[in-house]
Order: sequence, then C-alpha cells, then structure tokens
Amino acid sequence: MEKQAMILVYLETADGQILKVSLEALNAAKKLAVQTGKGVAAVLIGDASAAASAGVYGADEVLTAAADGYQAETYTAILTELFARYETPCLLLGSSRDGKELAARVSARAGVGCVTDAMDLTAEGGWVRSVYGGSLQETVSIEGRGVVTVRSGTFGKPEETAGRTVPVTAADVETGALRAVIKEAVKELAESVNLEDAEVIVAGGRGMGSAENFKLVHELAELLGGVVGASRPAIEDGWIPRNHQVGQSGKIVAPKLYIACGISGAMQHVSGMTGSGYIVAINKDEDAPIFEVADVGIVGNVNDILPLMIDEIKARKA
Amino acid sequence: MAFLINPEDQDLLQTVREFCEKEVKEQCKEFDVSGEWPADIYEQAAEMGLNALEVPEEYGGPGLERVTVAALMEEMAKADAGFVTTITASNLALKAVLIGGNEEQKQRCCDLLIEGKHGAFCLTEPMAGSDASNSKTTAVREGDEYVLNGRKCFITNGGVASFYVVTAMTDKSQGVKGMSAFVVDAGTPGLSTGNHENKMGIRTSNTCDVVFEDCRIPASARMGAEGEGYKIAMQTLDMSRTWVGCGAVGIAQRCIDEAVSYGKQRITFGKPILKNQALQFKIADMEIRTETARQMVAHALKLMDEGKPYSKESAIAKCYAGDVAVQNALEAIQILGGYGYSREYPVEKLLRDAKIFQIYEGTNEIQRMVIAKNVIGKF
Amino acid sequence: MELLVCVKQVPDDSVTVVLENNAPKLDGITPVVNAFDTYALEMAARFKEEHGGEVTVLTVGGEETVPSLRSCLAVGANHAARLDETAACDSLGMAHLLAKAAGKAGKFDVIFCGVESTDGAYGIVGAQLAETLGLPLVTNVLGLEPVEGGVSVKQETEEGYRIVETPCPCVVTTVKPGYEPRYPSIKSKMAARKMPIAGLTAADVGAEASAYGPDAAKVRQTALSAPPKRQSGVKIQEKEAAVAVSRAIKMLAGQKLV
Repeated sequence: MEKQAMILVYLETADGQILKVSLEALNAAKKLAVQTGKGVAAVLIGDASAAASAGVYGADEVLTAAADGYQAETYTAILTELFARYETPCLLLGSSRDGKELAARVSARAGVGCVTDAMDLTAEGGWVRSVYGGSLQETVSIEGRGVVTVRSGTFGKPEETAGRTVPVTAADVETGALRAVIKEAVKELAESVNLEDAEVIVAGGRGMGSAENFKLVHELAELLGGVVGASRPAIEDGWIPRNHQVGQSGKIVAPKLYIACGISGAMQHVSGMTGSGYIVAINKDEDAPIFEVADVGIVGNVNDILPLMIDEIKARKA
Repeated sequence: MAFLINPEDQDLLQTVREFCEKEVKEQCKEFDVSGEWPADIYEQAAEMGLNALEVPEEYGGPGLERVTVAALMEEMAKADAGFVTTITASNLALKAVLIGGNEEQKQRCCDLLIEGKHGAFCLTEPMAGSDASNSKTTAVREGDEYVLNGRKCFITNGGVASFYVVTAMTDKSQGVKGMSAFVVDAGTPGLSTGNHENKMGIRTSNTCDVVFEDCRIPASARMGAEGEGYKIAMQTLDMSRTWVGCGAVGIAQRCIDEAVSYGKQRITFGKPILKNQALQFKIADMEIRTETARQMVAHALKLMDEGKPYSKESAIAKCYAGDVAVQNALEAIQILGGYGYSREYPVEKLLRDAKIFQIYEGTNEIQRMVIAKNVIGKF
Repeated sequence: MELLVCVKQVPDDSVTVVLENNAPKLDGITPVVNAFDTYALEMAARFKEEHGGEVTVLTVGGEETVPSLRSCLAVGANHAARLDETAACDSLGMAHLLAKAAGKAGKFDVIFCGVESTDGAYGIVGAQLAETLGLPLVTNVLGLEPVEGGVSVKQETEEGYRIVETPCPCVVTTVKPGYEPRYPSIKSKMAARKMPIAGLTAADVGAEASAYGPDAAKVRQTALSAPPKRQSGVKIQEKEAAVAVSRAIKMLAGQKLV
C-alpha cells in the first residue's frame, strides 16, 4: 500500500478517554495540516477504544498499535517506527510527563529536532513557547522533520463532528526486549482537576500560611462554582495535590475570573494565568508583583479577607 | 560598603546570606512572636558550621580571618539579631576557654562547637551585673572536687548549652582576686536552669538563670589558677565586645535596607517619600553611623589580628554600634510612620532587638568607663 | 556505585528576564546551578552516602561556569569535570556533547540530570542523552534504591507514581523530591576551592563537529519577545478588611462576576 506522508498525533488515553492535552495536540496538528496540506493520523497505543472519538475530533486516519500496558520503551519504539514509516513531517504529543519523554526519545532516535511545550503555531510555521520561567517567549522553527509537544491550555479542543468516521489501521510494530520496566503504577490523586475549562479559579499560595487556612480557598471556589488552583509553594508545602498547579510547571489557564489568594506573583505563576478575564489578587505585601496583573488588588491579610468575602458572597446569594 | 574581606571568602558570604534570607529572616518573625527557641534553624546553622566560625584551625575550625567572620556575623544579625546572639554567646564562652583554659579544655569546647553544640558564659548574677566583683557564687574545694553554689542570671544559651563557663568565688576575702573560672558540662548534677526570660527583643535567643546547688565538679574543670577567674572574664569581654558591635552593625544595616525599600515605593503627595531631601538626609545619617560603626569593628579586629592592645577600641566599637543600632531603628520606624509602629512591618522588631546591644556584655555606661579609663589613665 | 550528575548554569530563576536589543538581558542576574540539577545532585549525594560510591558533576560551558561546579563540590560531589565549549546548541547537540564528555569522564552506573532547566525549559536533554548513549532511562524521578543488577526508581506521574526497575548503567531525570538540597558548610565550601576540576574539550572527548553547535542545530530560535503585558487595575488599601472586601465585591458585581 502506498503511504502518504502523514502528520502523526499520539493520543494519550486514560480509561479509554483521550486526555485533554492530547486533544489540544490534535488541534495543533490540524492547524499544521492546514499550513502544510498534509493529512493527520492519530496514533492510539494499547487501548484503541478511543479510535472513533479520534475521528469525531478530526483525525483523518487512526493508527492503532498493540501494547500490553504502558512501557515507555515499547511506546518509544512504536512511535519511532511509525514516524519513519509514515515519513512524518511532524509528530505531535501532549506535554504530559510521558508525552515529553516520548517526544525526546523519538526525536533522538530519529535524529530530528524536538520542541516542547508549544503554545502557538505562527503563520510561518514557527512554534511559540515560554522561556526564562515565562519572562519571555521564543519562536522556534524546526529544520526538517520534527517532534513537538503541546502545552495544556493553549491550543484548545478541536471541533467535534458527530458521526464522522475515519479509517482505522492496525499497525504492526516489532518492539524489542524491555530494559527499564514499569513494575507498578500507583494512583494517588483521586480527583481529576479541570483547570483549563474552569470559568472561575480560586488559587492559593504560600501566603495562605497552612493547610488549615487553605480550606478557605476551597470554600470560596465551591461558593463560586469554580476550581481550586495553586502556586508552586502551596504544592511543595503539601497543602494541595500537584494537579492543581497553575503556571510554568502546571497548567495555563484562562478563566473568566481568577482569584489569587496569598500568591506573590512569581513570573512562573503569572505566566500561566495572565490570560484570565478578570483577576483579583489578595496579598498582604503591597509590593507583591501579583498586583501588577490584577484588575482588583486587595492589600491585606488573606486569612482576614477570605472569610469576609465568603460571607458577603453568601449574603448576596441569599 | 561592607567589611573588606578577602575575595576568596566572598563565596562564604554569599552562602551565609542565602541561608539567612531563605531560612532565618522570615521564619524568625514567627519565633519573635512566640518566644520559642527555633531549634530547627539552629540545627541547620550548626550543620553549616556557623557555630564554629571562630574555632581556630589548630582545633579543627575553619581558620577564617576575623574580618570574614565579622562579615558573616553581620549577615546573621541582619536576618535576626537573636539568631546572631545565640552564636555570639557560644563563641563568648569559647573565647574564655581559649584565653584561660588548658589544651584539653580548649579542644573539648572546640569539638562541641564543631559538633554544633552551644556554650554559655555565666558571669552575671542578680546582684553582680556591671559590678561583677560582687559575685555571690562560691566554689569550695573538697579534695579533688569543687562544690559550686549560687545563681547566675540573664545567661544567653543557659537552657541550651552543652558547656558552661562559670565564675565563682574561691576566696571571698580576696575580692575579685578570689574569683576563679570553671568549665562545667551540661547535665552535671546540681546544675539546673530556670525559666526562659520573656524578653523585649532578641526573642529567638535563649536567656535564663543557671543555678548551682551543691554542684560537684572535678578540680580539673578549673581554668588557670585559683584567683584568675576575674582576669579571664575581663579579657574575654574585652575581646567579645567587638563581636557584639558587629551584631549591632547588622541591625543598623537592616534598618537602612528596610527604610530605603519602603521609602522608594511609599507614595505621598504624588511622589515616593524618599524624593524628599529631609528623608534622604535621614538615610545619609543612618549610613554614616552604620559605616563608621562597621569600620570601628573592623579596626578593633585588625588590632586583635596584629596582637596590639584593643581594649579601648573594642569598647568603642560595642558602645557606638549599640547606640547606632538603636538610633537607626528609631529613624527607620519614623520613616515607615504608622506602619513602622505596626507589628505587621519589620522595623519595630529592630528597635526591640537593638536595645539590648546598649545593655548586654557591659552596658554602654560601662563601655564609656572603660574608654575613659583608657584615655585618661590613672591620676 | 559511580554516579554522574549533569548540571547547567542558568540565570537565577527568581529574577524576571527582560528583553534588550532582541536578546535576553542577563547581565546583573546571578548565575546559579539549575534548580532541578541541584535536586539531582542532592539525590545522588544521598544515594552515595547510603550505598557508597562517588559523585562526579559535569557541565558544558566556559570558565564562568567554574563557580557553579565548585558549589556542587561543596554539597556532595566528589569530582567535577567541565567540557569547555560555548557553541550554541539545541537539545540534541547538547545531548551529544554530554554523551561524549560522560564517556571521557569515567564509567558511571547512574547518570542524573535535572528534568529541565529553568531557562530554556525544554526538559528533553536527559532523555536524549540516554538515547544517544543507548542507555535505559527513567524520567521524573523522585527517588531510587539499588536492586540486584540495577536500581528501583520511583517515577512521578500525572496522577501518582510508578515503580520502575532498570539495569545499570542508566539515565534518570529528577524532579523535586520531598527534601531540599543541603546548604554547604563553611568547611566544605572552603575545601571545594582547592579541589581539581577536570578540563575537557570537544576534541578531547571526540565530539563530532556535525553533531553539535549552531550549524548542526535542528531547532532554531527565530524570534524572542516579551509576553503580552496586562494592565493593573485598582489597588484597595483599607484599614478595615470589611471595607476592602465590600469595595472589591462591588467591583466584581459590576462585572457580573458574582
């Protein structure tokens, strides 16, 4: 069978569902496809139950490869082989931890350039990404073929076309013996956190002072029907799981309302939330950089302000 | 300007500054409120070897120049004056041993500081502060032992030390010539410590009574000969005063730093308050005093390095720097205005911390007596 | 075990980098060891202290990176090596240089890299290094222990962790573990001043000119810009928290946000 060069998108799944960040990668691939006139093939490894869904989201073809559970080496081998087999100009992945590892490995094996955490694709085919903790943005181009990972919260989900069906091809790929073997996978974070789609985010930082005080952030978020976010210090102090992180090593978010509680506003955090519609910041340090991006800044102790805010909003709702 | 230290030692300054910024400065605010002794911070400092900065190289210390140690102490004082007080107090006890102790005593106390332990210098008594000769604590020789009885007060590190340098009268009839000095291990039966003083400032340092009730120590714990205790204590204080001055310089510098950072961003009448020459002159005066005090500290240390007499200069350094710390703290509060008076802002603590530097290790009145005596001589 | 830690000197990441003449203005920003590399070094140092062996740190850079290597020597590294090369490289080029330098610097059972640098933040050099050397890899590592013939590694994942077993030699990339890197002691800092730093050149280590440097780069920066700025709005400073809150809530209500 004659094979046409195809843009490949690796779709990471959990419980048969395509991860949101992988859908964003598919969206980026579709954008690239428009520029290059190439087709987009979605790759599902192991669990292929999302094949139909990949078609609905706009892949032109779905390639499936068998695998018995996630092993980075197996997945690397499969993606490297498909990248060669389909003369892929660009392989896209979501910027998950596994996605970035696979991207790096495939690019090294194929000897091609690799760009991670892309936030945008320019009209000239350049990839835009953050550097220096979000202080600056660079545009980079890949010479020849390449591998790109897409940062969550940047490209958005692709349009759905209900009922759209596309060919599904089972790709047979030889994989070698494993060296690094995943023996056990433990799920610690029970809830999945959807910061990217949230209309309201209430985020807490080190200024909250303690895990106990951090409950106020939850309370306000719940009251506003929002999602709880956090800056890195709050996560490092163990007040909230890391899947709530907003910023450089977390999610890029753009809710209608973002309330930053006791967050000083390090560039690494701010770069992840400046796309928000309306930003409220509460901090006792009147010089805190968070005030430079806030529509409303309240100078004061967050643990005094939040209970009052919660009461006042409750009163309005009543 | 800062202490002119050997360029090679700049990396140490950087390390200590980073440690103080990240682990001491903010954390100590909380302990200033609670009055609790921040054991974790002291443990970290000990691991870094900050307790043993003054341990001589031949006893396993880092062998740093005095002026380098001063620059490091200033950093610690800038972060928290109670923190530097704890460290200075251990080194005060060490100095007494280095001045009056035998080889075995010196090595043991050096080892303790290197291990990260603390020392305490027990001279002051309820009725013998500035007038140390009025000491009531006694040491009575019984065979190969001395029996200590008495009460020492305001002892820094009293509750946390591993060794105590203690002065006691072995012959009351001789006045100060009947005072002897001893090194006593923590845990010796008959040695107990009283309640932690609830102090105005330097609240991250431990201060308490140290009580001796029929406390038996071996005769080998005595430093020097009987009757040499007062001399050892006075020589120790002569030297340590400069280091107290160094801590005061740190507070004075912190006052400048806080006042400048606030004054640049605080807007009144449409401009930052530091655009006003009246306040600029305040800053200039704070800087003049601080820099002068710092260089006086450096000068006294240089005299020590060169083996020249330094008693007067050490007293000047301590007295002047102590006064400067208080004056700068008052000015910093004035510049911050209402916020300066608020506990939400850092400068009111600086005043509470600064005040002790006019009092401990010889009040500034005692320093002036020392200075006057040096200048006027006997007549 | 013999452990290698690859480190990169980066500008202090707590400082905001601004643009000057279309280039990042880095003078005046203190150079530091990349935070993730300090975690890698701490992890390696703890491993060594518990299970024996020695730690070597390796960097690629000019003379100006020597102080960073010395600070590593003061916090657990036994040896240091510097590949004296300042050519601009993309990730693959850097992986090539590190692979060659690592081969020259010794035989290692585990090679540690920070998961990413805080400046470029591609987060792929470690993995590309493993592939270049043909070694097994575990990324996003929180900790590791020796097992028969290799190491058992705890890997951070999106929703928890995995236990991965790999033979040695291998490469691991480290995230922030549950502990902080140690501070140097005064004495270790002073001792580090006198420790030798092995000097390597690209020629010594057999780096291939076609595999690194600006001409070999497959990823090239075409533009650099400051991210879009946001205008700040109103800052409410009231003595009474309640007054501040009601002012803020009124503004939110005005925007129909509450």
